[in-house]
Amino acid sequence: MLATVPSASLLGVDGHPVSVEVHVASGLPGFTVVGSPDSVCREARDRVRAAILSCGLTWPPQRVTVNLAPSGLRKGGAALDLAMAVGVLVASEQLAPETIADIAFIGELGLDGSLRRVLGALPLVDAVVQDTVVVPPPSMFEAALVGRHRVRSARTLRELVDALAGTEPWPDIEVVRPPPEAAATLDLADVHGHPMARRALEVAAAGGHHILMIGPPGSGKTMLAQRLPGLLPDLADAAAIEATRIHSAAGASLPAGGLVRRPPFRAPHNGASSVAMIGGGAGFLQPGEISLAHGGVLFLDEMGEFGVDVIDSLRTPLEEGTVRVARAHARVTFPASFLLVAAMNPCPCGEGLRPGSCRCSDASLLRYSRRLSGPLLDRFDLRIEVMPPDPSQILRGQDGESTAAVAERVQAVRERTRARGVDTNALLSSRALEEVAPLSPEASSFLERALRAGQLSARGLRRVRCVALTLHDLDAVDPPISVKAVSFAMHLRVEPRFLSRRLAG
Amino acid sequence: MTTGASPGGAETEPELPAEAWVTALTTLDGMGPARLAALLAAFDDPADAWAAVGSGDLSVAGPAVAELLGPKREGTIEAWMRGARHLDPAECWRRHVEAGVGAIIRASPSYPQAFVDDPEPPSIVFTAGDPDSLVGPRVAIVGTRDCTRYGHDVARRLGAELSSAGVSVVSGLALGIDGAAHAGALDVDGAPPIAVVGSGLDVVYPRRHGALWDQVVQRGVVLSEHPLGSAPVAWHFPARNRLIAALADVVVVVESQERGGSMHTVDEAQRRDVDLMAVPGPVTSPVSSGTNQLLADGAAVARDATDVLVKLGLGSGARRSTTERRRAPSPVDQQVLDAFDWQPAVIDHLALRTGFEIDDVALALDRLERDGWIERRGGWFERCAKPERARREP
Repeated sequence: MLATVPSASLLGVDGHPVSVEVHVASGLPGFTVVGSPDSVCREARDRVRAAILSCGLTWPPQRVTVNLAPSGLRKGGAALDLAMAVGVLVASEQLAPETIADIAFIGELGLDGSLRRVLGALPLVDAVVQDTVVVPPPSMFEAALVGRHRVRSARTLRELVDALAGTEPWPDIEVVRPPPEAAATLDLADVHGHPMARRALEVAAAGGHHILMIGPPGSGKTMLAQRLPGLLPDLADAAAIEATRIHSAAGASLPAGGLVRRPPFRAPHNGASSVAMIGGGAGFLQPGEISLAHGGVLFLDEMGEFGVDVIDSLRTPLEEGTVRVARAHARVTFPASFLLVAAMNPCPCGEGLRPGSCRCSDASLLRYSRRLSGPLLDRFDLRIEVMPPDPSQILRGQDGESTAAVAERVQAVRERTRARGVDTNALLSSRALEEVAPLSPEASSFLERALRAGQLSARGLRRVRCVALTLHDLDAVDPPISVKAVSFAMHLRVEPRFLSRRLAG
Repeated sequence: MTTGASPGGAETEPELPAEAWVTALTTLDGMGPARLAALLAAFDDPADAWAAVGSGDLSVAGPAVAELLGPKREGTIEAWMRGARHLDPAECWRRHVEAGVGAIIRASPSYPQAFVDDPEPPSIVFTAGDPDSLVGPRVAIVGTRDCTRYGHDVARRLGAELSSAGVSVVSGLALGIDGAAHAGALDVDGAPPIAVVGSGLDVVYPRRHGALWDQVVQRGVVLSEHPLGSAPVAWHFPARNRLIAALADVVVVVESQERGGSMHTVDEAQRRDVDLMAVPGPVTSPVSSGTNQLLADGAAVARDATDVLVKLGLGSGARRSTTERRRAPSPVDQQVLDAFDWQPAVIDHLALRTGFEIDDVALALDRLERDGWIERRGGWFERCAKPERARREP
């Protein structure tokens, strides 16, 4: 007899509906799964059989064939286990077909028949067109976020069969909510001194400009970077759902409210591989750190210590806001629009910022400068040198402005920016820039001088204009761009010393 | 000195000048100045020394050579023997002649006077440029490679002023102070500059100073103890420093850490009773710690070229007035400029000291930089003593 059970499978961060067709007929007893399952999915044979037997149900002593349609889609993971088990039970007439009408099943099975959590419950449930969906208890919260379905759950296959058959009521299972996040404790008010760095963070948050901080150990680079997400406004609805899908697909924990509303902050260690960074993986394509940082901040501490190829693989995502991961069997596009914050030491000895205090040899400096390619450096609109603050400021300095005060200005800038039709100033095309950010005559001659002196490339000129526009927005002053804004934008874009050092004879 | 092959001589035995045999000896691995000197002292004719090395039997050379070779002498002699077999001295000499490189040995009449009474005289000096550049008064200007703007300015100005006063600037063509001193000497039309390098004369090191190197060759002379093709190996540099000290009538240290390579030049100068001068620097600056220590130990103060000229017995002590041709800063800019204290500073420091907003400071810095009052290095700014001659006009 034949049974068809709806379910869903994950590819990248998107769920795709899958029909699980189970055919039980006379023949040599056996269990085959066809329809491009990956190895984890194929192992479902053993899990499903053991789970059915553990629950006191009968395994049909017949030939069982499972087809996963559409067969062109590669199915990975164990989320189809439950649908296969239900299919076998219906096809072997232990459950009536009408009991599963208009119900989709998503879940992994344990050998004892228990229902286990699946990765990406949110996008999986989102792909389901039926009215009711059955998911494992730990995934109920994510499933409910979609909001279109009646979400059912059971602790074991036995409970599920009883509930479907109507012999027992649906079990009363409490939705497990993630613990509430600790309130953001990192306030910009704790930062003493660092006027330039504070200003640069504000500009980065307001205009979406990537920022590179160069400074000796202990100068406060990490402390500053950690305070950047607090300055960013909440994610808009569409962006929040996108970010939540990515977190769900990667198995990352979701905030108590369900949707990822606050911009995420990802700080991978410098040992990260390029697959961990941009996404991918054997068989089952998973989003990488840059996608988990979608809508938020990707912080690369000690950028000089990351693999050169890892760093260079960031270039296209930085340009396009998405990353296309292609493998022989599947191609997936992950959203990856993030604010890149990088910190690095000025040179291997770490002391090289102040003229005349570095102990590095020329050769080691040269090696160090090769770690950061020119094209990637170009992506940073803001490059600042962070120095340890003056001792008097550490001890007696007043608290700086609080995160809330700065975030308010940032929010105002973002609203001004939206009127220009883009999310952030950094995304303005050069034509749009020409239109919305005309230069004052003094600013124009200032930039001409910088161009003639070779301090600025054509690309650099565009980026400086962008940052100058953000500076204007922060002061709520309309263009034309003043010479002061242009000058300050150039000061926020210093050539890293380890690239230029010792060039002067 | 370029005798070449004797007329009608057989091809197998071209008669080579003594310089050729010494040159061949310098190409051997591990042949330092001391070993070379001992080897040449043991034989009357350098050709015999070459033959002895080639035969692998150095017992005829006496105990002095054996002692210098140390415990690993067997291996060294073996390596020299192999090296000597693979090298054709005539071919090696022809390369030097064709490259226009001069070779001066101790027996030459043109052997520099400064090396004659030296405790460790070089057995051979290769020259590129005019060897007659060595006749005038000479001042060595040395210092750290990682200098500050201040050190760079002072070295360049000293180089220019001494050169125009007819004093040759001796230095090592290294990055930092050395290069700045030579750049200064080349800024003016003065005495020929002299450079002593630690590599073969065809191996430009540091490569960044290629243009400077060529200019010194054209207007003065570049000296080396090493044959063409020698790499700038670490042990060449202390030996190079001894030649700088030996050539100089006065050694001026502009900026150096207490344990910098320039301190080696200072030690060599003291062994030779060469006068030592140091440029005072901020007591807080790590690269002035060595020079300030020298001053505390009794070295003479070099504030400018006049101080050095007086030491040389060439100057009267009357100071030249320096003319100011920079546009005077506005009152606001002057406040920012005063906040420097002649130390490198970042905008954060200047904003704190002046109490101005950071973007106002940034704008003031741009104006000051344009008018040549300050110089930018990354995010740092330093006050300039005097605008550079070769300043690019925007």
